[in-house]
Amino acid sequence: MTFSPVAITGLGCICAAGNSLDDCMRSIFSGARNPAPPLRFSSNHPIRYPVFEIPDFAEPSGMLRTSALGLHAAREALADAGLEREFLDTLRVGVCMGTTVGCAMSNETFCREYRSGNLPDMTLMETILRSNPASVIAREFGFYGPCQTIVNACSSGTDAIGLAASWIRSGVCDIALAGGADELGRITYLGFISLLISDENPCRPFDINRKGLNLGEAGAVLVLESEKVRSIRRKKARSFMLGYGSACDAYHLTAPRPDGAGLKSAITEALACNVINPSSIAFVNAHGTGTPENDKVETRVLAEMLPGVPFLSTKGYTGHTLGAAGAIEAVFTAACLELGRIPASAGFVTPDPELGGTPVTEITSFDGTIALSGSLAFGGNNSVIILGKAGES
Amino acid sequence: MKITILGIGVAGGFGTGVKEMHDALLSGQGNHSTILLENCGEPLALPAFRADTSRLKDFVPQKALRRIDNFSKLGLLGAYLALEDAGLLADGCHDQLGVVIATGYGATGTTFAFIDSFINDGDICASPTHFANSVHNSAAANISMLLGATGPCSTISQFHHSVPSALQTASLWLTEGRADRVLFGAVEELSELIGYAWYRQRGYPVHAGMKPLMTGMESALIGEGAAFMLLSRRDEEREGYCQLEQVTTGKGLAPGFLDCADDLLLLGADGRQEIGAAYATVAEHPRIACFTGLYSSSSAGPAFDLAAAALMLKNDQTYPDPSGGTCDFQATVATGGEIIRTSRISSLSLSEDNGFGLVTLKRV
Repeated sequence: MTFSPVAITGLGCICAAGNSLDDCMRSIFSGARNPAPPLRFSSNHPIRYPVFEIPDFAEPSGMLRTSALGLHAAREALADAGLEREFLDTLRVGVCMGTTVGCAMSNETFCREYRSGNLPDMTLMETILRSNPASVIAREFGFYGPCQTIVNACSSGTDAIGLAASWIRSGVCDIALAGGADELGRITYLGFISLLISDENPCRPFDINRKGLNLGEAGAVLVLESEKVRSIRRKKARSFMLGYGSACDAYHLTAPRPDGAGLKSAITEALACNVINPSSIAFVNAHGTGTPENDKVETRVLAEMLPGVPFLSTKGYTGHTLGAAGAIEAVFTAACLELGRIPASAGFVTPDPELGGTPVTEITSFDGTIALSGSLAFGGNNSVIILGKAGES
Repeated sequence: MKITILGIGVAGGFGTGVKEMHDALLSGQGNHSTILLENCGEPLALPAFRADTSRLKDFVPQKALRRIDNFSKLGLLGAYLALEDAGLLADGCHDQLGVVIATGYGATGTTFAFIDSFINDGDICASPTHFANSVHNSAAANISMLLGATGPCSTISQFHHSVPSALQTASLWLTEGRADRVLFGAVEELSELIGYAWYRQRGYPVHAGMKPLMTGMESALIGEGAAFMLLSRRDEEREGYCQLEQVTTGKGLAPGFLDCADDLLLLGADGRQEIGAAYATVAEHPRIACFTGLYSSSSAGPAFDLAAAALMLKNDQTYPDPSGGTCDFQATVATGGEIIRTSRISSLSLSEDNGFGLVTLKRV
């Protein structure tokens, strides 16, 4: 089955690289990155692992930082799309967000108080219950369309965009805000350390000396718009969603399938959505976490399915932002398609002969109009979206 | 394209499997026990509907279950029961099988166990096993792994709105041909801290049983369970319970939107007073039913409602109201043993933020 392309008319993001898409693009093309031990929380772990924190962002009281990051990105994306509140009120607008911690009933302070036999402050739990990332955005803007928060670990953001495109095609809504959001916190910080997949140094995706990931935090949102609405307001698209594919490894809770079968299926499905020839892919924004196994499997699959296509990981600039990762990488992919160039894959220095290839090491221009962004996740999820440059699709 | 419900797998306070659910629906008798908590260091037994996962050993070797937590066990049990009910347990080819899970709170027991691991022993002792199993999609992942399901796999968490949202996703996957069959299910686990948070929010229950159609009063009881359905788009698989005709979600259900004429309307009212008035307002309807008193106030509740609706359509009869038909708004509550009369049953769930999910099932 093939699917009609879905227009992307607005982009917004916030991460350690910047508080807006323009800031982020300036920063990553300058090569800047500043991972450092966390400032927002402390740990008695003897090693201080670097993270990518957003330094100058404060969430309002009564709202999870995760949801506030998503809301920040949604505001930018709506402004970028030129969508005013009065016009949106006439439409059925959906919200689809990915997250990992935005739905988790996990509050360390609450647990400590309970275990100590004290009376925990219930506002801690009530804040979580009020902060479902998709619901927060829908509530803020008064949207009355479908509203979903996807919790597929690190592929959540990619899956949210893929699902939102289905909503537009099927007429479930006129406009969809899709993306992801996740904040840094002690629970995920200690969790990834416990799994021995955090790097004590700034992360080095695809490098022979890579030791793991650095966590980050982010919010990223794309505005997907039906052709009916776009024709009414004669809005030019920034990009097009051309394909989405998702498949499960059914192999291991935290490790990718060594033969990459799930990722291959996801890429095949995404390409088939619009009968896209692999040779027409201009670049791949890879998952590229910097963990030994992810990078090995991913590069081998890319070498087999998209030989010679330049690839990079932007996690060297943002850290691994978990449920937001697929969304922020989709936003970067769309922006790079417009620019016709991609930044160097930060952190990569020395090739690893075990991998299927090496990422770009400098700002690289391209002529193509189609790019692929992929995510691999705990639970064995593999999700891929394919974006096309506006005007060329 | 038609989507057929081929099999149902349920586990909750009423028991395990379709037959025990059917028996509970016929008798109108819920069966709650308790969960043990501490309140300021003092023990507290909170009434709760608990689910028993012991039947899982019929499907999965004990060795394979060693590192699987209660949340995933609930999901696995629901999934296997649905496949068994569909007669497809032995069908080992699941490459076109998708998995969609709805959960309001995820693997809370394991999440809290992970936090305990570093509270008790320091940050360096954080448990990797607990962390890996604490992710919301752990049940979906374990189902995919044990079944070898390599189709798309997704988990939706929208608190009390998770079920209709997830079903909408499953329906889209089937419609778009991303999967031939989808295991759709809701999983909710009752852990100690969730029970405690519930108690702090709502206090100790005043009533022995739930009276969800008395919408002006609080009668919610907490619970856990799993409710799964095997959905198929295949032309050769049309002989199931019923068909999934429509799933609509959104905000602001306007009066009159419920265009289901004489169809039976199954309400997700669950004894929570803050949402009761919303049900009373929109559901002034010729014929309603509500069975949440058999399986608790839980974000998985709407999935149990769908299982009940599917059973009613297949058996062509209604079940008695578990709270004896008491209702404080204008509606006719279906009594047990009535003929369904129409070919459809709609299931309505509402959330505190003005959200709604309306699912319509149609007789095969």
